[in-house]
Amino acid sequence: MRKNSFIWIALALAAATAAVAQTEAAAPATYVGAEACLECHSEVADALGPHGAPGFGKLSDHGCETCHGPGSLHVDDPEVVANRPTLTGKSADEKSAICQTCHNGRAQFFWSGSTHQTRNVACTDCHSVHSPKSEDAQLVATNMLEQCFSCHKNIRADLWKNSHHPIREGKISCSDCHNPHGTQTAKMVIGESVNELCYTCHTEKRGPFIWEHAPVRESCLNCHTPHGSNHIKLQKTSVPYLCQQCHSNTRHPGTIYDNTKLPTADNPTTGSNRIFNRACLDCHAAIHGSNHPSSPYLGY
Amino acid sequence: MRAHTPLRMTFAGVLLLAGSAFAAEGTGFTLKMDRLDLAVYDVDVDTDSSKFNEYRDWSSGFAIPKMKISGEDDKGRFLEFKSSWVGRRDARYTLDYGVSGRWSMMIDYNKIPHNFGNNGLILFAETSPGRWQISDSIQQSLQNTLTQQYATDRTKINYAYLDRLITPYLNAANTIDLSLQRDRTRAVFNVGQMGHLAWKLDYSHENRTGNRPYGASFGFGNAIELPEPIDYATDGATLSGELNGKKGGLTFGYRYSTFKNDVDSLIFDNPFRITDSTDPSAYQAPGSASVGGAATGQADLAPDNEAGTLFVNGRLRAGSWSMNGALSLNQMKQNDKLLPYTLNSAIRGTDFDHSTFAATDPGALPTANADTQVDVLSFYGSANGKLGDAFTLAFKVRYYDYDNSSSRIEFPGYVRYHGVWEEIGRVTVPYSYTVQDLGGDLGWNFGEASRLGLSFNRQSWDRSYREIDQSDEDVLKLTYDTKFGDFQLRAAYELGDRSIGDYSTEAQEESFIHPEGINNLPALRKYDEAERSYDSFYVQGWWYVSEKLDLAFGVNQRNDDYDKSRFGLVSDEVLQYNAEVNYAVAPGANFYAFYQRTERQVFQRSRQSGATPSTNPLDDWDVTFDENNDTAGAGFKSDLGERWKLDLGATWNKSDGLADFFSPPGGSPNLAVGFDDYEDIEILSARFALDYAITANISAGLDYRYEDYTLDSFIARGLENYMPAALLLNANYGDYTAQVIGLRCKLKF
Repeated sequence: MRKNSFIWIALALAAATAAVAQTEAAAPATYVGAEACLECHSEVADALGPHGAPGFGKLSDHGCETCHGPGSLHVDDPEVVANRPTLTGKSADEKSAICQTCHNGRAQFFWSGSTHQTRNVACTDCHSVHSPKSEDAQLVATNMLEQCFSCHKNIRADLWKNSHHPIREGKISCSDCHNPHGTQTAKMVIGESVNELCYTCHTEKRGPFIWEHAPVRESCLNCHTPHGSNHIKLQKTSVPYLCQQCHSNTRHPGTIYDNTKLPTADNPTTGSNRIFNRACLDCHAAIHGSNHPSSPYLGY
Repeated sequence: MRAHTPLRMTFAGVLLLAGSAFAAEGTGFTLKMDRLDLAVYDVDVDTDSSKFNEYRDWSSGFAIPKMKISGEDDKGRFLEFKSSWVGRRDARYTLDYGVSGRWSMMIDYNKIPHNFGNNGLILFAETSPGRWQISDSIQQSLQNTLTQQYATDRTKINYAYLDRLITPYLNAANTIDLSLQRDRTRAVFNVGQMGHLAWKLDYSHENRTGNRPYGASFGFGNAIELPEPIDYATDGATLSGELNGKKGGLTFGYRYSTFKNDVDSLIFDNPFRITDSTDPSAYQAPGSASVGGAATGQADLAPDNEAGTLFVNGRLRAGSWSMNGALSLNQMKQNDKLLPYTLNSAIRGTDFDHSTFAATDPGALPTANADTQVDVLSFYGSANGKLGDAFTLAFKVRYYDYDNSSSRIEFPGYVRYHGVWEEIGRVTVPYSYTVQDLGGDLGWNFGEASRLGLSFNRQSWDRSYREIDQSDEDVLKLTYDTKFGDFQLRAAYELGDRSIGDYSTEAQEESFIHPEGINNLPALRKYDEAERSYDSFYVQGWWYVSEKLDLAFGVNQRNDDYDKSRFGLVSDEVLQYNAEVNYAVAPGANFYAFYQRTERQVFQRSRQSGATPSTNPLDDWDVTFDENNDTAGAGFKSDLGERWKLDLGATWNKSDGLADFFSPPGGSPNLAVGFDDYEDIEILSARFALDYAITANISAGLDYRYEDYTLDSFIARGLENYMPAALLLNANYGDYTAQVIGLRCKLKF
């Protein structure tokens, strides 16, 4: 009996000790303030950008711990790896959730469910709070183009093609047409449709015209490739052949425009105005639509 | 007036900054010059090609490539003013100012040049906006000569004859640069940023001025390239509100946009006529068939228009599920006054009741104004969430209804290229369509950071007035994303299949009041509607070999097959592959290099016809376009000691195309000859920059750039100002070699 009591007491003490120990280990960490962080991580402060600006303090009282969480356990014993409030090892969604604590509106409104979110791209894959290389948006790369090219490498060559938007010249950027944080439209384009996006800059083509060109209204991408083309006006295939993919009508639309219809360098006589210069567009200039009563063939 | 805009912007910016600093005095607001780059450039270009400065303004002289001023106080107020290429045609100025978490404003002024061609040769003079005239004496002389020749021996009116007539005048013609300028202002005002309730006003204004090449034409024998005058103003404003909570959010607002064109039409003289005339073949003049036609032509330029969009977006979170939705109503309309059928006073039109009228009389039109309107209703919805820890599921739906509610206008006929009345009743066609998407995505997250996704989407089209009323396209997509150790991989495989209903070749009759007969090939399928299947894959991998070295490599392909299209686009295949290396040679020294090759092959088929669609297979012709594009680049940036910085880089892009024609012997055509300058283009762009830090805040350096560009394109081959049946500007957008040398100084205060 006595022996049994001892065993029971010993077990109870052991359990209590373990419980206390466990309670101590699970004691929630508390906020220690940014000054405590900077005592060791001073090199981080200079590169913080907006997150280190006084304005950030207006939005959060916790400085570094706003994103990293309370750091008291790490401060108490910096050597314990498990206590380090690093984001490394967290999943893409977990990392992004931290950013979304503040950045959940405006451009990030549709982050959840976006292509990038769905395919496990984290905010920190493109942005760096601690060591951004770009002037704007705290990007991991030196600018937005390079950032997007880090994954979308097939687009880079397109921008160097003969016909291109002024992207490589820096006058417009990827985010003028796409919202990488998510939209409800395909390809994350900004706008209810591709056409409505294009009309923001090419407003003169919005119409509606009395004489319409149906595929123009359905999608600009029927004829144009927006990232770059070797053919004039970002055409997918050069005129006149682009037009002939739909219009092989009698007489001149269906005529073969091969080398025999082209001028040579020193002999223009063989040239046809349906192939040289702007080909079909030499006469059908109002290809996007016309208001002219005499322009059912979109001539003027 | 407009030339002073950059100076005014700079002045206004400085005033604003000074004012801000003054206002901030005593409040702890500190303002500092983060960066000021000053430079002097010498630009040497060996030709006058517009391509060199297509979207930029590299010119000799003093420049301020970059400037940045910023300030802040301890109460969260911030200011940032940035500018680039101050005072130049491609300058940009951006001001951000606000109080963190309370409000902010951004004003951006972005100047974008677009140069189309230099030194075009033009017989015309712009006597008022949109009015291009030729000296009466030239018109009179050419008309007299042609009329006389037509009377004596009209068979001799050919290209050589016309070239001899017009060349003396071209030799004395003026030159013109084709160029336009976009000056964009955008102002954004945010209140309550990142709060529960936020408001935003976004205003934009753009002036577009200048000109661009335009294909004015008097018909088959007399295409005339002219500068289209551009004087556009585009204004837009969006007022939106945003409400956010822990479980969801809502944004709502109204967006309004107007477009105004100060030049309604382009009126241009006919070099070969000073008096109006008409005959059934006038649209072929000048030539052996006719020397008649109009003395002036008129083209309708882009009409003023407006659009207004009411939108509401929402999101809701419930447990591990989130739902998004976007609903918008957009109305686009324009009501420009219609131009008369023609300016050719010799033409009389015939009305439906067979009475005649002067075709120059706008009162003879069935309606005075365009009065067109399109209403778009769009809805997007999606739901996505988790099934346990490993699986994700998403659904999406889209409804986009483009409803052109414009009245159909019936015209009793039209004037063919300003020369002849065609008594063929035509009616406008308000094309409308509805697109619906329904799709789902199942994802499986496994391992450390891997995801396998399978998605399906059906896109259905419902059109009116087109060849295909209904079509469905099913797309199945498999994606795989993973990170393992030092490797990362993203891959996708996609299969698409579009099925269509009946293809109605009669659709082209929709714009005719009375059936005129089908003149397109009955077996042609327009590719945007046609039955098609495609498959594509994309693989991109990264190998982070060490902290210093990483490699990337990728390959992707897409094959579109229009197997059921006897004529038209039959196939379009693209294969791309790329490789890239980044190497941190030493602390402060980085090297990169990349290469990409794209191979594309397009195949299309047609059949040449006379007055009626040919049924002879020997009249078939086809063409295969092979396009290869190589792009390579390399760069090296390094600190050389404590004071020197080196920045080297180059990009090279080469396109090599081939058009391979075929036609079976015995038909018409009987011969098909390909060409190998289907857009052969090469550009090499290199830069070298070396900077020396004189002090911690001042550095001086050398900036050298080299560009070499060659264009060898069938479309520009052998062009002269007067070509068969075409009077061209023939502006220069071709080859150049350019060197830019600059001395620059970078300052920080």
